[in-house]
This record gives sequence, C-alpha cells and structure tokens, in this order.
Amino acid sequence: MENTTMNSEFAGSLAGRSHLESRNINVWFGQRHVLADVSLTFIENSVTALIGPSGCGKSTFIRTLNRMHELIPNAGLAGEVLLDGENIYTPETDPVDVRLRVGMVFQKPNPFPTMTIRGNVLSGLRLSGKSSKNEDDLVEECLTRASLWNEVKDRLDAPAGSLSGGQQQRLCIGRSLALKPSILLMDEPCSALDPGSTLRIEDTIRELSRSMTIVIVTHNMQQAQRIADQTAFFLADESQPGHVVEFGLTRDLFTVPNDPRTEDYVNGRFG
Amino acid sequence: MTTYEFQARPDNATPWAVRSNRTNAVLTLASIIPAALSYFIGSAFALPGAVTLLVVFLPIQIVAGIFATGITKGAHRIADAVLAIVISFAVFMVAILLGSLLFSVIKNGIGTLTVPFLSQNNVYISSTTSMDYGGAAHAVLGSVLIVGLTTIVTVPLGIAVAVFLTETDSKLTGLVRFITQSMSGLPSIVSGLFVYAAFVLTGIADQAGWLGSLALMFLMLPTVSRMAEEVLKLVPGDIRNAALALGAPRRSAFMQVILPAARTGIITATLLGLARVIGETAPLIVTTIPGNETNANLFFGPISTLPTYIYKFVSDISETSQHRAWGAALELLIIVGILFAAARILGKQKVK
Repeated sequence: MENTTMNSEFAGSLAGRSHLESRNINVWFGQRHVLADVSLTFIENSVTALIGPSGCGKSTFIRTLNRMHELIPNAGLAGEVLLDGENIYTPETDPVDVRLRVGMVFQKPNPFPTMTIRGNVLSGLRLSGKSSKNEDDLVEECLTRASLWNEVKDRLDAPAGSLSGGQQQRLCIGRSLALKPSILLMDEPCSALDPGSTLRIEDTIRELSRSMTIVIVTHNMQQAQRIADQTAFFLADESQPGHVVEFGLTRDLFTVPNDPRTEDYVNGRFG
Repeated sequence: MTTYEFQARPDNATPWAVRSNRTNAVLTLASIIPAALSYFIGSAFALPGAVTLLVVFLPIQIVAGIFATGITKGAHRIADAVLAIVISFAVFMVAILLGSLLFSVIKNGIGTLTVPFLSQNNVYISSTTSMDYGGAAHAVLGSVLIVGLTTIVTVPLGIAVAVFLTETDSKLTGLVRFITQSMSGLPSIVSGLFVYAAFVLTGIADQAGWLGSLALMFLMLPTVSRMAEEVLKLVPGDIRNAALALGAPRRSAFMQVILPAARTGIITATLLGLARVIGETAPLIVTTIPGNETNANLFFGPISTLPTYIYKFVSDISETSQHRAWGAALELLIIVGILFAAARILGKQKVK
C-alpha cells in the first residue's frame, strides 16, 4: 500500500525539527474546563491529524495554535504554544504576527464575497498592508499550489462566489498560501465537500506538506490514514474535559493502538 | 446504449400551474360575486367607499374564498386562503393610500413646475403675485445644504456607533444601544427646541442653517446607526474570522472585508436616515429663519428649506400660494425619488 510506504519514510524523518509545539494547553469557556493538558509536537513538513468525536475539543485546540481562540467571548487559556521555540502567548507577542506565520483554513469555505478570485488570493497582503512586486506571479503560484490554477486561470476577475464549494475551499487554501506561512491549520476542510473535491484537497495537502507543516482536524478516519504522518486522538466525557488519549504515528495509532478507547474509536465501535 | 439529446423546453412545462375548468369557474365566481355584491349593498345603503370596502367587501370576500377553496382544494387549505385574502386586501389598501398620495401631489404640483418656479427665489413675492414670478430654488438650495451638512457629519458618526456596537466587546455597548434606541423616539420638535435653547436663547449663536443641521443630526443619527448595526451584524462571522486568520489587523479586516460586504446595507441606512430628515419641518422652523432670498451661507442669515417653504405657503389661503406649496411638495418628492434611484445604482454589489 502506498500509505504504508509513505508512513515508513516519515517514521525516520519524524525525529526532525520541532516546528510547533503545544505545552500543557488548558482551555476554559467561562468556568467550564473544556481542554486539559494538551502537549503535542508538530514536526516540520509533516501532516498531523486531530481526530475524535464531536465536542472533544479538537477545533478548540487548533484555534489556540494561531491565537484565533481568544476571539471567542469568555475564552480562557493556560499553557504555552511554542512557534519555532518561542511562546506565542507572551504579552509582547502580537497575535497579528502569529496569524501571518500560521495560516488557517476553515470548515466552511469562506472566500470574501466582495472580491474576485484574484482579489481573494491577494487579500492577505492587502489586509496586512503589504504589497508584492509580481502579483500575477504570486496569484499563479498560490493557485497552482492549491490545485486550482487550471480551472480558474481564464476567469481570475470573476467573483469568488461563482466557484463551486470545492473550488472555493481550494481558493481559501490558496489565499492562505499567499502570505507564505510555514504552518497551515485546517479545521475539517473537507466536511462540506463531495468525495471528488475531498480527494483533490487531500492531494493538495500532501503536496503542500513537502514544504510546510500541516495540522488538520478531521472526522474522517480514512482521510487521517490517507494524509497524516502522525495522529492525535482526543476524547471528552461527562467526568473529564477534552484531552489527548493517544498521540503517535498514524499507522501505529490505527493498527496497534496502545489504548483500548482508541482501538474502539478507530474501529468504529463508538463515536 | 441509449443516447439522449437536448430538447427544447415545451410550452406546457409547468403542469402544476394547470387548472381544471371547474376550478377556473369557481375562482372566477369567487372573484366577481363579492365585488358585485358589495357594490350593490354599498349603493343601496349609500355607504362611504372605505366603509363598503372594510365592512362589506372584506367579510364577503373571505366567505367566498372559504367556499371556493373548500370546493376546489379541500378544507385543509381554507386557512391559507383566508390569510392570502386578508394580506392581499392589506397590500391593496396600502397601495391605494400611497398611490393617491403620489397622484394628488403630482396632479396639483405638476402645473407649478415652470422654469421661473424652478430657478427663482421668493424675494418680492406676495400672495397676489402671478405664478410667472417667484419660485422655490432658494428652498431647494437650503434643503440640499442643510441636509447635506447633516449627512456628512451623521453618516460617519452613525457608522462609528454601529461599529462600536458590533465589533467591540466593550461593557458600554448595552448603554450605548439603549441611548440610540431612546433617541430614535425623540420627537423632532424637541430636538429643534433643544438646539434653540442651547444656542439661541443662551446667545451663543443666532438662528442659522447650521443649527438646523444640528437639530436634524439628532434625528438622523439613531436611524443610521441602528440600520448600520443591523447590516453589520448580517455579515457572516466566517468572513470576519477568515480576515483575522490571515493576520489582518482589526482595522483592515473591517475596512476591506466587512464594510464592503455590508456596503449595500450601509447605503440603504444612509438613505433611510436622509429620508427621515429631508421632510422635517418643526426643528427647522425653530432653528432657522425661513427667508425669501437665496442664501448659501449655512452660518449666517435667514435660510429657507423645502419643508419650511411648503409650511409657509400652505398656511396662506390664496390660490397662488397653494400652487406654490404643491409645487414645492412635488419637488421634495422628486428629490427623494432621485436619492432612492441613486442609492440603488450605488448600492449594486461590485466585485474588485
């Protein structure tokens, strides 16, 4: 199987440089403790999948990695997130800088409706007051990396809303790439898409992971197995807040899990 | 293997819209009988038209509708039919009200809209002067200047208030929202008298155009800010998150993403605010001196506006004065019409 060889290749390289790391992340909404002691290490140029049943805190966790978490009213947090070795939650850190380095793709495709396809790709630059000398090259490069270029190269000035759902999601990926982030967070990017579009986005993710670190939340366990080098399994129940049950190489987690709850979940016995 | 070809759409491609002859007959009867019956009853008892419509026609039409629906569609659709009849009747009444208002203003005002009326001011014009002389051009200019100043100041302020209410999580939002809501119920004469008391009675300033603008601002601000708040709230949170996740400072996210997405609504908010104040008379009567001469200085001297012009002439019973009042009313309507048309054109979603 292709997946197996892929994972074996990465098994060696996963000893590589830690790029992004969470240390004892705890999250509260109001007084409710929803995430406890999440410590995960994301290796440079790898794909990490976060799996687990709804409400276990995966999406909440991924939002702590680029400081989108704090935009939710009543949000609270303890712990550290190290980006290239530096904590992003120090008082001196500007969340804007963090978000420029850590891109994000959301569950629902959310291109800017008042902008063209081209405008959407360049929006990251415009929004942060930057400019690029070769905007046309940048648009082509980003859309090519997002596997959208061939479909839209003749109608870059069309409104973004005219694209199909799958194309809009790839446009959102391309939009994130324009800022050249070294990390891309994806919160269930395929859950609103059909299988064909899903496969195209998965190809895109594999391709992107050659040059950037990707963290993806997914409900689709086949998807995790197809694209992720390592996987973290989250769980929450009435008696305890969301936490990581098991974290390891995707192949190991799905074939020889250490924890019986992981085994039950990945084999579809609950969740 | 079967192959399929594209076919032209046939004429009768809406089978759901086909009615049986019996249904057609019943519906025709249900439309004609109540109208005819009400006409006869109304004539027989010499009832006023409005009474006939409301007390005779509406009940008969509802009963006829109940029978017709019961026969053609079954008892379970009767409630729908009654509701449809009541709503259509209400729409019809509102359309008649609006139509008759427009009709009478146009009918009475159109004859007055001559070149002298559109281009001259009111100096040396008395109630016996012929319609060949004198006009409301100075009032149009005054209205445009006063309402223009009001708009220039109020729209940014109103949007700022709306942004404060939607984009920040300050503890003061509740208080500010309460105050704007209370302000939207402010009687216009109170606003005028407040400005009069605060500036003219205290001797700070004499009655002038800018005091009129100030009085109108109190009336326009709540309309603009509340409408703008509603449209800003409608911008999907997804888009806001997308902009922030791209590393946009909140200011750029607002200016480049949220505001453009709410553009049509903001323009409508501005327009409704304008429409709210352009016809206001009471605050202008106390804060400005409605003059006869053309005055483009908002800070000094008597200045006339269309509402005060209409008020002045409609109080005079001579025939020419009445004509002048109708003409100015028509001008006011035309200006409002132009504003609405302009907003439609400006408000079209443009994609950059």
